Amino acid sequence: MIRDITLGQYYPGDSWAHRLDPRVKIAVTFVYILALFLIRDFGGHAVAAAALGVAVAVSRVPPKFILRGLKAVFIIILFTFTLNMLMTKGEPLIKAGFIVVTKEGLYNAVFMGLRLVLLIVGSSLLTLTTKPVRLTDGIESLLKPFRRFGVPAHELAMMMTIALRFIPTLLEETDKIMKAQMARGADFESGSILRRAKNMTPLLVPLFIGAFRIAQDLAMAMEARCYRGGEGRTSLHELRLRKQDAAAIFLTAVFLSFILLERWLSPLWFDI
Amino acid sequence: MPVKVEDLVYVYSEGLPYETLALDGVSFEIADGEFIGVIGRTGSGKSTLIQHLNGILKPKSGRVFVGDAEITAKGVKLAEIRRKIGLVFQYPEYQLFEETVYKDVAFGPVSLGLSQRETDRRVREALSLVGLDFSEFSERSPFELSGGQKRRAAIAGVLSMKPEVLILDEPTAGLDPGSHMDILNMIGEIRRREGVVVILVSHNMNDIARLSDRIFVMNEGKIALSGAPAEVFAHDEFLASIGLRLPPVAEMMRKLRLRGVDIPEGVLTIDEAERALEGFLRRAR
Repeated sequence: MIRDITLGQYYPGDSWAHRLDPRVKIAVTFVYILALFLIRDFGGHAVAAAALGVAVAVSRVPPKFILRGLKAVFIIILFTFTLNMLMTKGEPLIKAGFIVVTKEGLYNAVFMGLRLVLLIVGSSLLTLTTKPVRLTDGIESLLKPFRRFGVPAHELAMMMTIALRFIPTLLEETDKIMKAQMARGADFESGSILRRAKNMTPLLVPLFIGAFRIAQDLAMAMEARCYRGGEGRTSLHELRLRKQDAAAIFLTAVFLSFILLERWLSPLWFDI
Repeated sequence: MPVKVEDLVYVYSEGLPYETLALDGVSFEIADGEFIGVIGRTGSGKSTLIQHLNGILKPKSGRVFVGDAEITAKGVKLAEIRRKIGLVFQYPEYQLFEETVYKDVAFGPVSLGLSQRETDRRVREALSLVGLDFSEFSERSPFELSGGQKRRAAIAGVLSMKPEVLILDEPTAGLDPGSHMDILNMIGEIRRREGVVVILVSHNMNDIARLSDRIFVMNEGKIALSGAPAEVFAHDEFLASIGLRLPPVAEMMRKLRLRGVDIPEGVLTIDEAERALEGFLRRAR
């Protein structure tokens, strides 16, 4: 049940996209997200969707797997869609009591919905094709220039690595404790909200105690291996830009110029 | 209470790239009052199997019967099943959560909606079964107990449900030899007193050989071998091939026999070995 959350998960593989330098992937994702907010009409969305389609195909992650991750945020998308549809003023299309759907509202809803889907799929592609450790290596490397302004790049990256590393562990721990308490007659699924919150005690107390235990063990294990922070520390896997990374940067630049060109060429979206 | 399992299949992470077949057509029957030992290397499906017996995991296909009830049927009352089947997980002390030992042991009975008097009776009984003195331990916090005592308190938390089938997953892992023996003796005692079915999952071949009426050997999601201890441990080469070993005593007896010492087959425990060797020495004289 808990295992099936795929958002933010890594999909093991050895595709072109998997092998890209994580710094490049982070930058590309950043540019892609930026581009999504530059788009003003569906033509732009078509360009972005096509680019995303190519990226997905290159990553060899099954689209089914990606869509499964989308399911987790379906509520948010639906919420945005409905709000946009009902709250935009303009030329009425459908009227049912106090509910008025306007032409602009429908347009806005579809537009925002598309943007959200593209945004989520685009950013999840980053985590799907990058091992958490490589991702934090990339973040650390990108944050390094800010060290002189007092940003603790290594410590931040280490915290992220540990946090990511422990998500599955804590999920497993939750699963185990839940099962053990269910075997003793605990009920996590029925009753009022208040009742349910109260029923969580047998789960939360052991989970917290377990988290502290794990943290303590980890701290000891790190000290036993002489961990002492980032000062003078080198990496086992040095990040180096290669030809494929240059190609990815070039393709992203092409994509961005298409988006800008389309924005410049297209009429304002009120005119359709 | 008899237990029957028919053609159980279970798949972890179905549809994901790391999908694994954890149970691959497991079938067996356990008669009332039997003591079953389950052995198998790590990842062979033992823990997955026992979690099906009280409905915590739902099989992909296959059926599980406990007594007359089919617990894999739709609309079955799982609370009732879980009362009858006590499942002690690995490291059960991690499930302790209440302020006092008393409240923690009472969690099961209270969840069942039993009266205060009945709950109190059951807590006292469970604590005495696991060998924790009521007046000394009932008002203490479970978190200030020693490892062995925590383990006992957690097992008492399952016993207070008065299960008719008691399943234990490595109940003695990580305990000192004294607590190890205490816990096993306690399991034997519960079985004698309450006449329950016991299913014991363990890597300790010695315990399994000594206590079990029958042994199930799990390998790659299947029951590869089953039978009385002497039968199962006669397949020493097969057991070695799936990462298991004979109990130390049986291993020694096997080596002695290979050297031409005339002792009977199927000797598994220290007491049996003592008798066998005594007989041999008398004959040799």
